[in-house]
Amino acid sequence: MLFDLDKKINEAIDDAASKSLWLYHINAGSCNGCDIEIVAALTPRYDAERLGCKLTGSPRQADIVLVSGPVTLQSRDRLIRTLAQVPEPYCLVTVGSCPCSGNVFKGSYAVCGPVDKYRHVDVSVAGCTPKPEAIMAGIAQAAAILKEKRKGMHE
Amino acid sequence: MIGFIQSVLNILLLPGLAFTLIASILLAGIDRVLVARMQRRVGPPVLQPLYDVLKCLGKETIVPRKANEKVFLLAPAVGLISVLVTAMFLPIGNVSAIRTNADMIVILYLLTLASVTLIVGSAASGSPFAGVGLSREMVAMISYELPLVMVMLTVGFVCGNGLATFSLAKIGAYQAANGPLLLNPVLWPAAIALLFVIPCEVGQQPFDIDEAETEICEGVLAEYSGKPLAQFKMMHNVKMYVMSGLFCALFLNIQTGFFLADILIYCVSCVLVTFVSMSVPHAVTARFRVEQVFKFYWTVVTGCAALSLILVWIGL
Ligand code: SF4
Repeated sequence: MLFDLDKKINEAIDDAASKSLWLYHINAGSCNGCDIEIVAALTPRYDAERLGCKLTGSPRQADIVLVSGPVTLQSRDRLIRTLAQVPEPYCLVTVGSCPCSGNVFKGSYAVCGPVDKYRHVDVSVAGCTPKPEAIMAGIAQAAAILKEKRKGMHE
Repeated sequence: MIGFIQSVLNILLLPGLAFTLIASILLAGIDRVLVARMQRRVGPPVLQPLYDVLKCLGKETIVPRKANEKVFLLAPAVGLISVLVTAMFLPIGNVSAIRTNADMIVILYLLTLASVTLIVGSAASGSPFAGVGLSREMVAMISYELPLVMVMLTVGFVCGNGLATFSLAKIGAYQAANGPLLLNPVLWPAAIALLFVIPCEVGQQPFDIDEAETEICEGVLAEYSGKPLAQFKMMHNVKMYVMSGLFCALFLNIQTGFFLADILIYCVSCVLVTFVSMSVPHAVTARFRVEQVFKFYWTVVTGCAALSLILVWIGL
C-alpha cells in the first residue's frame, strides 16, 4: 500500500515534468533574430503558456534551456558555466541554424560553435530565423524527452 | 470526545489542511486561466500550479557553495508551515479550525513571518540577485503592512462596538446579524485598500518587484531549485488563498445556516476577490518600479485605509 503510494507519486511527478516547462534563454552571440522569435512564441498570439511554459530568469529553475547564436569566443565559457548550474533533469534546445552549424558566421575566428561540441543537444530547431510555430514544436518535443529523462532518474 | 474528533477533523479536513491545499491550487490555477482569457488566449490548464509544484519536487536540489545550507533549506519549510497555519484561522461561515480571541494579530504575525522567511532564505543563498530582491521585498513589506493593520483595526472597531475586537468569530457573528460589512459605505475605502494590499502581500504580477524575473533573475528565488523551490511556490499559492479568504472573513462573511451553502458562497467569493484584486491588475498593467510601489501604497492605499478608520472613529 505504502509502496504503491510512492509509485503513484513518482508517476505524477514524471507526468508533471512534461507539463510544467520553465524556459531559460541563453544568447550565445545570436544576431537577435532568434531571440525575438522566442519572445514571439511566448506572446498571447502563440501562447506557449498552453504547454505550461513560463519564462524564468534564473538557470536554477529552468527545465528547458534555449540557446541561440553560434557560440562566440566571449560567450563560450559563460554558456558552459550557466549550463552547469541547471538542475537535472533538463533539456537543451538550440534555436536557429547558428547553434547547430555556425550558419553565416561559420569560419570566423571568433566563433567556437557548434553547441554540441560542449553539451549534448536534445532538440535542435533549424531555420534562420525559425518560426515561432517551429520553436513551439521543439519545446513540445523537449517536453516528451524531459518525461523520459525524469523516468530514467528513479529507475 | 465528539468535540475532540470534530476539532481534529476541522483542522485536518474542512476549513483546515486538505481544503486549504486544494483551494489554493485551484485558486492559483483559476487566476492564471482568467488572466489568459483576458488576454484572449487559451491559457494553461487549471491544475498548472500543481504540475509546477510536483515538477519542482522531482528536480535536483542545488545548494550554492556560498550559501548557509541549514537556513537556505529550512526557510521555505518554515514559510510554508506559517501560511498553512494562517489558513487555519480563516472561518467558513462560522466554522474555523482554530479560533482564539485575537485571530487577526496571529494572522498578521504569521503572514509577516512568511515574508521574513523569504528574506532570510534569500539572504542565506549568498547571491547578489537575491540581495537586490531581498531589499525590494522589504520595501514591499513596509508598503503594505501599515494599510493592512489599519484595515483590520477599522473592521475591529466596527464589530466590537466601541472596543476593537481582533476575533474573526466575533466579526463573523456581527456580519451574520447585520449583513456583510461590504454593504456598509463607510467601509468601502477600507475594502478598496485591502484589495490593493492583497496582490502586494502575495507578490502577484504588477507588484512582484521582489522576484521580477526580467530584471533581477527571479530576485529572492534566484538560487532556489528543486524541493525548497517547490515549497516556496506552494507558499505563494497558499498565501493567495489566505489573502482572499481574509478579505471574505473581514468583509464578505455571509452565513446562511447551512454549512454546505456557506462553503459554496465562500468559494465563489474567494474566486471573485482573486479576480478583482489579482487577475485584473495582472492582465492590464505592467510591473511597477520599486519607488512607484512605495509611493502608491503610502499615499493612495494608506489614505483609503485611514479615511475609513477616521470615519469609523468619529462614529459614522
Ligand atoms: S539563426 Fe539566423 S536569426 Fe538566428 S541568430 Fe543565427 S543568423 Fe540570427
